[in-house]
Amino acid sequence: MYRSRNRPKRGGENEVKGPNSALTQFLREEGISAENIKQKWYQRQSKKQEDATDEKKGKAEDDSFTAEISRVVEDEEIDEIGTGSGTETERAQVSYDARMKLVPADSDEEEYETSHISDTPVSLSSANDRESLTKKRQNTAKIIQNRRRKRKRAADLLDRRVNKVSSLQSLCITKISENISKWQKEADESSKLVFNKLRDVLGGVSTANLNNLAKALSKNRALNDHTLQLFLKTDLKRLTFSDCSKISFDGYKTLAIFSPHLTELSLQMCGQLNHESLLYIAEKLPNLKSLNLDGPFLINEDTWEKFFVIMKGRLEEFHISNTHRFTDKSLSNLLINCGSTLVSLGLSRLDSISNYALLPQYLVNDEFHSLCIEYPFNEEDVNDEIIINLLGQIGRTLRKLVLNGCIDLTDSMIINGLTAFIPEKCPLEVLSLEESDQITTDSLSYFFSKVELNNLIECSFRRCLQLGDMAIIELLLNGARDSLRSLNLNSLKELTKEAFVALACPNLTYLDLGFVRCVDDSVIQMLGEQNPNLTVIDVFGDNLVTEKATMRPGLTLIGRQSDSI
Amino acid sequence: MSQDFVTLVSKDDKEYEISRSAAMISPTLKAMIEGPFRESKGRIELKQFDSHILEKAVEYLNYNLKYSGVSEDDDEIPEFEIPTEMSLELLLAADYLSI
Repeated sequence: MYRSRNRPKRGGENEVKGPNSALTQFLREEGISAENIKQKWYQRQSKKQEDATDEKKGKAEDDSFTAEISRVVEDEEIDEIGTGSGTETERAQVSYDARMKLVPADSDEEEYETSHISDTPVSLSSANDRESLTKKRQNTAKIIQNRRRKRKRAADLLDRRVNKVSSLQSLCITKISENISKWQKEADESSKLVFNKLRDVLGGVSTANLNNLAKALSKNRALNDHTLQLFLKTDLKRLTFSDCSKISFDGYKTLAIFSPHLTELSLQMCGQLNHESLLYIAEKLPNLKSLNLDGPFLINEDTWEKFFVIMKGRLEEFHISNTHRFTDKSLSNLLINCGSTLVSLGLSRLDSISNYALLPQYLVNDEFHSLCIEYPFNEEDVNDEIIINLLGQIGRTLRKLVLNGCIDLTDSMIINGLTAFIPEKCPLEVLSLEESDQITTDSLSYFFSKVELNNLIECSFRRCLQLGDMAIIELLLNGARDSLRSLNLNSLKELTKEAFVALACPNLTYLDLGFVRCVDDSVIQMLGEQNPNLTVIDVFGDNLVTEKATMRPGLTLIGRQSDSI
Repeated sequence: MSQDFVTLVSKDDKEYEISRSAAMISPTLKAMIEGPFRESKGRIELKQFDSHILEKAVEYLNYNLKYSGVSEDDDEIPEFEIPTEMSLELLLAADYLSI
């Protein structure tokens, strides 16, 4: 009825005069085909079984084209509204299109109807928008809350904080730091007096306990220029700072001035130590004879030279690691100036050192006892010949030998170096040959059968991938069995259970068996029973160690897959 | 003797009784309680610490036990007070006990 009422009027009114209408031009540009529309229209008509003869045919093409467009749009509108199909967006679009296409119509009645049709979708859309906005706000609030919780949980996990209660250590450190700040504000007394009073106010610590205090502060990342003041003490002789990353270059100068009797100093992660403070340390600490520096990358070649000139005749122990600015020239200056007094030398991860061949020429002290060469930049710079020559020089008195990451070393070093120059009654306490993957069972078995290691406390063959059972068994048949406290067999994949049957060390406290594939529950049980003082076994990567492993009381497994965090 | 309590002994032989569950908060004490020292029957000597230091550490263990189970949404955990003159020695004790 609606259609029959409107069709004749629209048909009449939509007659277009002239060559082309704007609409026709638009439709051509958009590629809309009259033929397609015609076919769709016919299909619609056939579905509804309406009489095709009602069509007004014979009109000019343009007129017919326009009239068909109008009818198609009209039909679509009715379908959408009647069936309720399509989304609000689609309805809105249809309404918009309908309004645009119906512009030529001047009928008041038609304009009213169009306006009415377009209102409904907008209204529905608006109502739905309001609802979804409320829901979105609620969801956002939940998301933010969850995000905060996750962030807090992640922070706690990273800090390994199990619960919300602060640890007693952190509470103590907070109290200590507060009081140091308070004291600094009341700096109306001489600085020396401040330090003494500061320690007294905080309860005092014996000199022997200062290193424990330093360790505790470092562990809690609380060692800085403020807490440094706790260590300014005239009778302090030995000091180890495990984490100096927060100590400024001025802090070191303060330390050198107010702890003038230091003889041994170890500064780990001392990235802020600069040339001025290093030379200060050399000049203001006349009794200093042992220095251990990790990460002093602000010190350049010239400063090293000046430092070693100042330390000539008194430097006995020097260990340095993790700097690319300690060069061959620096090593040469060290050896030329201090080589005759050195009894302990450590060189680790120094990317600019290649001339290790200098060492045998200068390490001539009769009491030399410790040598550590670790992770040379070019492995071939530390070869068998150099180490054999070195051991020929210092092997008699050696108590500590660390050659980690010197992967160029072979059996020749063991046979012609260690076995040849280490005395039969060996004073060696520490032996570490990590990552020496060219060293075999045969050479080490030979070494262990020739030399009694009655004093060996710490031994590491981590990642010496070719070692088998016989090397370990021979070690344990040695005097080392009774002296060993720490043994590292990490990644020795060739080992079998046979090696562990022999592992019965009365004084062993620590054992690293990570990535040793034969280790299982029965091995763990056996080791616990045979080593009464064993307290920690690392079992990272040992898939056969399960929650069923029976452990003696007092024995802790670290890295077991079945253990939760 | 009751198995629910352990006795901690200080340098000057003062004794402090603490529940087993509170003592377990310290990994060090836990290892001692469960370890080869089991025959000591719940008595642990900590001779390196003065009595006032050990007393404060025991107080903290009880405080930790009481409040560590509180829901993380609850902000009503009271502050644990530390006297200034005790802070350095107490830090060393806390470090040893890993608390």
